[in-house]
Amino acid sequence: MSDEKEHGSGSVAPGDTSKRVGAEVIRERGVDPEELREKLIDAIGAEFTTYYYYTNLRMHLAGEEDYKEITEDARLEDRAHFELVVPRIYELEGSLPNDIRDFADRASCPDAEVPTPMDDSGGFDTSDLAVEDILEVLLEAERCAIRTWSEICDMTRGADPRTYDMAQRILNEEMDHEAWFIELLSKERDDEINPAGHFARGEPGDAPYSTNNRFNDSA
Amino acid sequence: MTQSSNETWTVTIVVPEDSSLEEAGETYDLEVGADETILAAARSAGVWLPADCQQGWCTTCAARLVDGDVANPNARRYYDEDDEAGYILPCTAKPRTDTTVVVDQYDDFLEFRAANDRPPGNSKLDS
Repeated sequence: MSDEKEHGSGSVAPGDTSKRVGAEVIRERGVDPEELREKLIDAIGAEFTTYYYYTNLRMHLAGEEDYKEITEDARLEDRAHFELVVPRIYELEGSLPNDIRDFADRASCPDAEVPTPMDDSGGFDTSDLAVEDILEVLLEAERCAIRTWSEICDMTRGADPRTYDMAQRILNEEMDHEAWFIELLSKERDDEINPAGHFARGEPGDAPYSTNNRFNDSA
Repeated sequence: MTQSSNETWTVTIVVPEDSSLEEAGETYDLEVGADETILAAARSAGVWLPADCQQGWCTTCAARLVDGDVANPNARRYYDEDDEAGYILPCTAKPRTDTTVVVDQYDDFLEFRAANDRPPGNSKLDS
């Protein structure tokens, strides 16, 4: 590089690998990248725990094949959300907690447990487990996710287009999920027709918003 | 105390001077129904208090109850020691009397939860 011509690099010195311009430009626009990163960890903690809990909820929709299919879509898409955002956390110089218990503790949404107590032998007591109760757990989990990703959209709008793009894609799918479970719960519990107005996913867990323009092959 | 769904209480929301919220230093008096959460009433009135899950779990909305009484039956993660120390979660808290709350207490509440070995305290502060 010419000695007369300084490298234009803002607050990060040329060749300095201890800082990331990708983070500093966010700070310059008024968002604390460390605070954002921690919020992202909480948010994908919820996506990850939801993926886990939805596995169990899906299993307990025994015999309700249509409900299982929809729950499977939501389950796989929540995992896709986790995988979509993980690289962003590392870009912002963070990492996943080493202890998965910490990850679950800080998840921004409640555990979506099967709504029934355990029986005396350590299994689920399914004697009074109702389909509508499972659907309500699923619905409220989606509503929490909508609130979380809306907060992240608010936080990043106009300051961090990369994170905003991810968050709004995820938010699109969480809103789909809420509509699905409103439709199913309305019919199951209240015998009301309350259409989601959606067509089926192309394949299970298709994630048309968050993976239709992939950030990487695993997301 | 008997409750009716059309009963309302005056909830005074105090935003501390040192808060990072735009409303720092302001005080608001809101009429909040007995079936309405303090957070929802505040946001409806244009007072944008911090919140995330709105299910009484994440603690983003944590506040201190300095006067009055609230019910918090729907909070997903709220402990006896929170109640004893005067912390509430406005996202699920509903007034039961005229009430005064100091909002934007998330950081202090995380420290409190950590000191009591309750989530998400240590999982957040140790990161």
